[in-house]
Amino acid sequence: MWFSRGKTDVRTIHDLLSTSEKIAQESGDERPGAEHLLLSAILLPDGTARRAFQRVNVDPDDLSAAIATAHTQALAGIGLRDPLGLDSYQGPVTKLFRANPSADQAFQVAAALSKEPGSRRLLGAHVVQAVARQSTGTAARALAGLGIDPAALDAAAAQEIHSAMS
Amino acid sequence: MVEYAEIPSPDDPAAAMAAVVALRRLADRLERAAVANAIAQGWTWAKVGKALEVSPQAAHKKHAVKRH
Repeated sequence: MWFSRGKTDVRTIHDLLSTSEKIAQESGDERPGAEHLLLSAILLPDGTARRAFQRVNVDPDDLSAAIATAHTQALAGIGLRDPLGLDSYQGPVTKLFRANPSADQAFQVAAALSKEPGSRRLLGAHVVQAVARQSTGTAARALAGLGIDPAALDAAAAQEIHSAMS
Repeated sequence: MVEYAEIPSPDDPAAAMAAVVALRRLADRLERAAVANAIAQGWTWAKVGKALEVSPQAAHKKHAVKRH
């Protein structure tokens, strides 16, 4: 059982981190942050992260635009407009996975949540819970921009975890 | 006439730090785009480093795209 859990988690972690890195680079960010980890969680095949958003009546496919809006609004707040065309210039690809502290923290919390009683493996919904518990940063501003109550999203993710494990 | 943008007051930490993150992100993206164009135009890493006020080695390490 432990071997099975470990094997599944290793694949989930690989998918989660490699996809978050790819999404970050495609959006012009050198390293993934919590918002990219969340976008990556939505793409996991377990589907729990997507359904957690749907439980709070938000289309998970709207998250990407909400993140872009959070950046645009932050720049507009200081009188700047985001120039077009910068996102296509990506930095060098490194062999080591490097993330922003917000992503590191979200990942560590998600991993800890996946080891709590009642959880048998890491799911996208664990990442949703971890990011929903961040009160500051781009991900928090994007969720607020979607009108999401973080506590409600956290609870919705918990329901998804419970459903997946029962 | 130059119009100046209003910078959020540090008294509002959430707004001020959101602005800091946005500026840092914009600076990073602008730097990557500018360096890529400079190298494409034939600039040396020494010239890039000088323009960015870092050493040529630091500029190369940060921006050189490794070819496999």
